[in-house]
Amino acid sequence: MLEVAGLDVAYGGLHVLWNVSFSVGRGELVALVGPNGAGKSTTLRAIFGLVPVRAGAVTLQGVPLLPEPPYTRIRHGLSLVPEGRRFFPQMSVEENLELGCFALGARDGLRRELDRVYAVFPPLADRRRQAAGTLSGGQQQMLAIGMGLISHPLLLALDEPSLGLAPMVVDHLYEVVAGLKREGIAVLLVEQQIYAALDLADRAYILETGRIRREGPGRALLADPYIRSTYLGLTPAPPPG
Amino acid sequence: MQTALDLALGGISLGGIYALTAFALSMALATTHVLNVAHGNFIVFGAALATFLLNVLKLGGTATAAAVVVCFAAAGLLFERAFVRPLLGKTPGQILIGSILITFGFAVASEALLGYTWARRVDPQPSFSLTFPLARLTVGGAVLSGTRLFVLLATTALIAALHLFLTRTALGKAIRAMAQNYEAAVILGMNPRRISATVYLIGITATAAAGVLLALASPLDPYEGTRLTLVALTVIIIGGVGSLPGALIGGAVLGVAEVLTSFYAGGVWGPVVYLVVFFAVLLVRPQGLMGGRAG
Amino acid sequence: MSDDGRPRTGDRRQGGWTGLGVAGGLALACALLPLAGTRDLITAVFFTFLFLVLALNFDILGGFMGYMNLGQGAYFGLAAYLAALLLNSGRLNRLGAADRPAAVAVAVAITTAVAFGFAYPLFRLSGAYFAMATFGVVLLIRHLILNFPDVTGGSYGVYVNPRHYLGLYPAYYLGLGLLCASAALTLAIARSKIGLAFNAVRESEPTAAAIGIDLFRAKRLALVLGAAPSALAGAIFALQAGYIDVDAALGVDKTLLPVIMALLGGSGLVAGPLLGGAIMRAIDILLKNYLRLAFPALVIYGAILMGIGLLMPQGILNFFGDRRRT
Repeated sequence: MLEVAGLDVAYGGLHVLWNVSFSVGRGELVALVGPNGAGKSTTLRAIFGLVPVRAGAVTLQGVPLLPEPPYTRIRHGLSLVPEGRRFFPQMSVEENLELGCFALGARDGLRRELDRVYAVFPPLADRRRQAAGTLSGGQQQMLAIGMGLISHPLLLALDEPSLGLAPMVVDHLYEVVAGLKREGIAVLLVEQQIYAALDLADRAYILETGRIRREGPGRALLADPYIRSTYLGLTPAPPPG
Repeated sequence: MQTALDLALGGISLGGIYALTAFALSMALATTHVLNVAHGNFIVFGAALATFLLNVLKLGGTATAAAVVVCFAAAGLLFERAFVRPLLGKTPGQILIGSILITFGFAVASEALLGYTWARRVDPQPSFSLTFPLARLTVGGAVLSGTRLFVLLATTALIAALHLFLTRTALGKAIRAMAQNYEAAVILGMNPRRISATVYLIGITATAAAGVLLALASPLDPYEGTRLTLVALTVIIIGGVGSLPGALIGGAVLGVAEVLTSFYAGGVWGPVVYLVVFFAVLLVRPQGLMGGRAG
Repeated sequence: MSDDGRPRTGDRRQGGWTGLGVAGGLALACALLPLAGTRDLITAVFFTFLFLVLALNFDILGGFMGYMNLGQGAYFGLAAYLAALLLNSGRLNRLGAADRPAAVAVAVAITTAVAFGFAYPLFRLSGAYFAMATFGVVLLIRHLILNFPDVTGGSYGVYVNPRHYLGLYPAYYLGLGLLCASAALTLAIARSKIGLAFNAVRESEPTAAAIGIDLFRAKRLALVLGAAPSALAGAIFALQAGYIDVDAALGVDKTLLPVIMALLGGSGLVAGPLLGGAIMRAIDILLKNYLRLAFPALVIYGAILMGIGLLMPQGILNFFGDRRRT
């Protein structure tokens, strides 16, 4: 559904991504993992047109995205929850969520959509009139994801959602992310927490210093000896049986 | 008692004008990250056009008001398209240099052109000033300046309209959203070019309207533009960027200070007081009296 | 060009032997000019020296450090007024022949102190806010001059007592000397640790602070280094012109033209303001003497500044320099 082919990104005098290619199928959860500075965030930002792309193509259901300006991505069904929990701090939780639907114009079902999000993230319901900037880190992340979801995207891209959050909060978030599959929403998950991401993902790609080094089903990569020693600090998995 | 009332009315009505233009500048600044040095020039241009239409061409009040709105709505769009649009999406360093060069250059060129043309065609001593038909009103035993009352009512109406637009309409909320977080707004589908154009359309028109109102209170000359930008900036420094209540408070402080200073220290000192406030606030509380750091 | 579009001074070694050779030749030519030129030409070139000094000084804070000072004219004008008023007041008469140098020295000292003082409020801001604030300094000084007419002559201006006049030829050579000194100073800054510190502040303030640069002191230093020679230029101007008023001393052209010169030629380079200055003065002479333009030159200058901003904000030398490298 989402095809990224031969993505080459450079800015300033720095070449950051080389020939990055991957795909996300309908309803799939694909993880893009790798060490700090590998270029994972840059890849997401390139897809969304937030950084200049030197070469390559990005298509969603066959429609080329790169020639179009960034603010049109959401109309194609692509939603991004950027790194660092981006939202509008001086507006209320509910106003923030309403703005999540901005691209879809006036909607009769807005109330229903808001309630849907509140059902997934009950703490937001309690604080719906509160200024978003006053929420805790975990609540802010919930809000950011809620804003990404409320427009019923075809694909939700998450940039390091677990960053700076307590483990219990992260667990809850990952439950929510796993639940998205059931609703048919495809997910592109960028994470530093490699174990959790690989565990959750249908398929995953390992990005190291701007290049894709490995790809495959999540569980298979978890058992891959290179991955285990480099990223997980583990010895090779014992043979089954 | 009468003098106190006069001073209060004068200060608040002047403050309302300052608040209106400061808020227009503030919104543009917050959404596009471009500081329009020529912002104050549009106050002068509004006053100039109104003076020309009303005093020279002898058009009526309503026709003049309508003409000013239409003209400056168009001017706002053109200005944004030509000078602000090319800067959108560039890096902060490039925006800084580009915006100063372009808007400062525009300020100098346009005010020189206005001064020259006006001196040649209309009046060798250019001065933009309007008179309001209703000079004095007696309200419950006190004699109030009709002009000042009108100015106060007009600015209140304009500010209220602005507030409603920003809080009740989708486009208005989008503008506020983009002012608070540019990237998040873009990701959610808000078109930065459309928002930039709207902000300048409304902002420049409001500023020109403020100029018309200001000309009712005191005469303006063609070269006051940059000074007025600095006044607006002082209000923003007091009240914070992008904050309407902040602009109101900052405007009130400056307006009252100016009127009181003129009264007690003489007319030549009134126009200086904003500079003193500006530097004093910077020294004492650079984050402004309301919070929200400028710069 | 660095990432954010501002020029990278550190990449180019400035003041190589060819550059110095060219500069030396030009200086020699200028020194010989008064032997051959008309009074008008000499006066025009003299003013060019003053503007070039202002442009070079603007670029210390503007190009090296990235803080655009739209109030460069403030130091020029303040010193001009101080020098003229000091001499007129007769307080320095007992110094005899040394009264003019003394007046100039005091004017420069006071102006530099004022610049030093303004650093405190000004550097609470950055970017475009800072630029506007520096403009506010000019406005403040203008207001003070106009509001104390008994002391300053108000809008009528100040006539310098004729016995204090600086003749055209002495002024010319003083101006040339000041220009060479200013260029040498800027070059010295560019090649020294101070210049490196300024560049660091421009590139990233948090990083500069992290490596131990005292941000405020660096900024204040840049401001003062740019104010002192400008003040000297202003004092010389006052004594040569014989009459100054707020428009001559503190007019917007004293700020606008140096900014154009620095940015047209190439901000961040020593040769940039000089090149831009030469071009702008040539345009100015063309406009005034040959095209007989009816409307004010400021309209043209403003338009030129806009053009630079829209088309080539990095200036001519940076534009071609980058082309050569990539």
